[in-house]
Amino acid sequence: MGETTEVKKKKRPLPKSRVMLNALVDSIYQDAYEAERKGEPVGWSTSIFPQEICTTFGVPVLFPENNAAGVAARHDSGRFIQTSEGELGYSNDICSYARLSIGMAHDIATDPNYEPPAQRMPRPTFLLCATNSCFQLLKWYECLSRDLNIPIFMQDCLFNCFEDAPADHRNKYGKSQILHNIKRMEELFGKKFDWDKFEEIQKISNLNSRLYDECVLMNDKTPSPLNGFDLFNYMAPMVIARGRKETTEVLLQLKREIQEHIDNNTSTFGSTKEEYRVDWEGIACWPNLGYNLKTMKKYGINCVTNGYVGAWSLHYNPGDLEQMASQYMLSSTNVLSTNSMMGKRADVANHFGCDGMLCHINRSCKYMTYHMFVGRQIVEDKCNIPVVTFDGDQADPTIFNEAQFETRVQGLVDIMKQNKEDK
Amino acid sequence: MADVKALLAEFDEISKNPRKMLDSYLAAGEKVIGSFYYTPQPLITALGMIPMGLWGGQVNPQVAGKYAPIFTCSILRSSLEFGMTGAYEGLSAVLMPILCDTFRGTCAAWRAGVNIKLIPFVHPQNRKDPGALDYLIEEYKYVKTELENVAGKTCTDADIHAAIDLHNKKNKVIRDFCAAANHHLDLITAVTRHHVMKALTFMKPEDIIEKLSQLTAALNELPDYEWTGKKVILTGITAEPDDMLAGFTANNIAVVGDDLMQESRLYRTDYPAANSAMESLALQWLNIKGCSMAHDDNSRARGEHLVSMVEENGADAVVLCMMRFCDTEEYDQPYIIKMVQDAGYMAFSIDIDQSTSDSGQALTKIQAFAEN
Ligand code: SF4
Ligand code: SF4
Repeated sequence: MGETTEVKKKKRPLPKSRVMLNALVDSIYQDAYEAERKGEPVGWSTSIFPQEICTTFGVPVLFPENNAAGVAARHDSGRFIQTSEGELGYSNDICSYARLSIGMAHDIATDPNYEPPAQRMPRPTFLLCATNSCFQLLKWYECLSRDLNIPIFMQDCLFNCFEDAPADHRNKYGKSQILHNIKRMEELFGKKFDWDKFEEIQKISNLNSRLYDECVLMNDKTPSPLNGFDLFNYMAPMVIARGRKETTEVLLQLKREIQEHIDNNTSTFGSTKEEYRVDWEGIACWPNLGYNLKTMKKYGINCVTNGYVGAWSLHYNPGDLEQMASQYMLSSTNVLSTNSMMGKRADVANHFGCDGMLCHINRSCKYMTYHMFVGRQIVEDKCNIPVVTFDGDQADPTIFNEAQFETRVQGLVDIMKQNKEDK
Repeated sequence: MADVKALLAEFDEISKNPRKMLDSYLAAGEKVIGSFYYTPQPLITALGMIPMGLWGGQVNPQVAGKYAPIFTCSILRSSLEFGMTGAYEGLSAVLMPILCDTFRGTCAAWRAGVNIKLIPFVHPQNRKDPGALDYLIEEYKYVKTELENVAGKTCTDADIHAAIDLHNKKNKVIRDFCAAANHHLDLITAVTRHHVMKALTFMKPEDIIEKLSQLTAALNELPDYEWTGKKVILTGITAEPDDMLAGFTANNIAVVGDDLMQESRLYRTDYPAANSAMESLALQWLNIKGCSMAHDDNSRARGEHLVSMVEENGADAVVLCMMRFCDTEEYDQPYIIKMVQDAGYMAFSIDIDQSTSDSGQALTKIQAFAEN
């Protein structure tokens, strides 16, 4: 999983919320560079690890999935993937974020003439790995740990085979890991953990999750005030700075901007009429984002929602570590059973008044693809809308096929059009 | 010698006809539980039921594609195909450990397409965490309750202890066979060894103990055979089909040990003594070393294990039998190959794809190694 702050260079001036967001992201990278320069700890983390911990320690952490999305969107992923598949011998079957990141880590560690991408990742001294998004992350981080000779702090977030909330014994294991990781980090960082500050950070994280949910929900209006792809941008602060006050500021500003759009009956979708409201399922095809947007616009399709962007919205009572752990076991599309996940998606598609669902069969992300195979029936039954799939990849530019994408979009439009006429 | 040949033929027959085995269990009124890897089998035994391994098979799936993308690992895709087409009919339930993303996906696909009760459960990966043991004990208690519902009866701690002893004894008997086999590589070829090991996954533990002990004893009575050809260790999920394995023998290469999921990986870690039977079952998972599916803080554990296997068995090479679309193994692939090579031995990969019977690429690599 991952997302970027740089979906597409727009000619119009960026909205204030985006300027604030970019400044925030920039400052987080600067903090990491500063720590690197001083020889202090810097972490690489999977995207839904309990960020509250390192934010409390004040130790900078960056997110390879988030970074990889940006690198791919700037068409710079090929060289790192090449290092992985060529020099290092990894199969092209594994997740492209992993291939990209393993290749990058190798170049950072071994190439004296290494040319960093636009957003440079510093060399990490430790890793944070949560298993909620997938199992591949764990294998990927094992590779990083081996290649860079650095430790992993793991938050094992057990897969939910059923639809119920995680059972007590799961939450206890989750809490045990939070406590044990804090203890191990105290030793590695040589710092005492500040439990009062931790609770403060938890409060901010919860506030940000609430605000973020509100912003996402405001798009149920017609026309939708945000072009759905914008949400990919605003996920970034939730991923990399969920526990920071600056994120609250960004989200409050975003909320104001969305409200303005609603009041003025405008949309970041621009002047194109929103003919069809579609739920985009899955990660973006970052290298092909421009083409995807252009093609959908051509047919008047606005992707008004995307279930995946909600993965960073975690709600628990600050101080309650079992509840916090439990939330981390529920907050990824890939940690839930297909029934729960696609059932939720169907509810969202209904709520947002979607006319169809466009599913990215992502070559990298196996389990997400399974959801679509098994779950399309659930959506079709619950929402009575067409579900159309296309093949792609979030970071490997060699998989996506423009012609197939357009043909599938056309097919979707044909059914949606017919459905409208039949109404 | 006659004993050895007859016993090998029995194992050969079982390995090739799991359906026949299942039918004979069912005809005898037994309940059978399908079992993917790393399931707490003593619970099944303690409840008087029979665990049978599920390994898919050589088939080009026709219906599994409805629920499983084309890049599903070969073994789960063919297992799903078999489940959807009735080949597993008669199983009372299936135990599925969610050990990788493909298992996550197959859990949903199974429910959608196969009409056999699924008991999914999750192993902890943060195995060093102090909470992992308690968690797994509770998770196994849930598995136990589900199995009790299937069996229609309950089992006591003493029943599970007895089953654990039986499975530990079975493990030892299997390890003893592997050790004895290396002194008779003229008889125990790559193919025969595989047939024995695969058959075991379909047999009751008490039958394994009886039959395999007989085979080992019969082998031990024969004079040692001095193998002059090359020797390899196999690693991966499975090493099939026979055509590919026969390529080793044809090139004068013997298999002197394996780290295959379908074969020795299942039996190398015993259930240790513990405060309770459930704790013993859980501790076994925490003690597993050098497996791609069990995270280890020592990120080189599997490589180290393979190098020591090569050294202990006087092997010349490690062959990674790379299950098609198994990302779990693919992440380990570059480093284990390199680590074995850096230790001064040969290492190479061959592809295992159950959807095709063409082993041409593997045979070419085996031949190249033989000529090297
Ligand atoms: S496999 Fe999917 S969830 Fe896992 S890292 Fe890749 S994109 Fe993210
Ligand atoms: S570990 Fe590999 S072979 Fe086994 S189920 Fe997972 S992907 Fe398939």
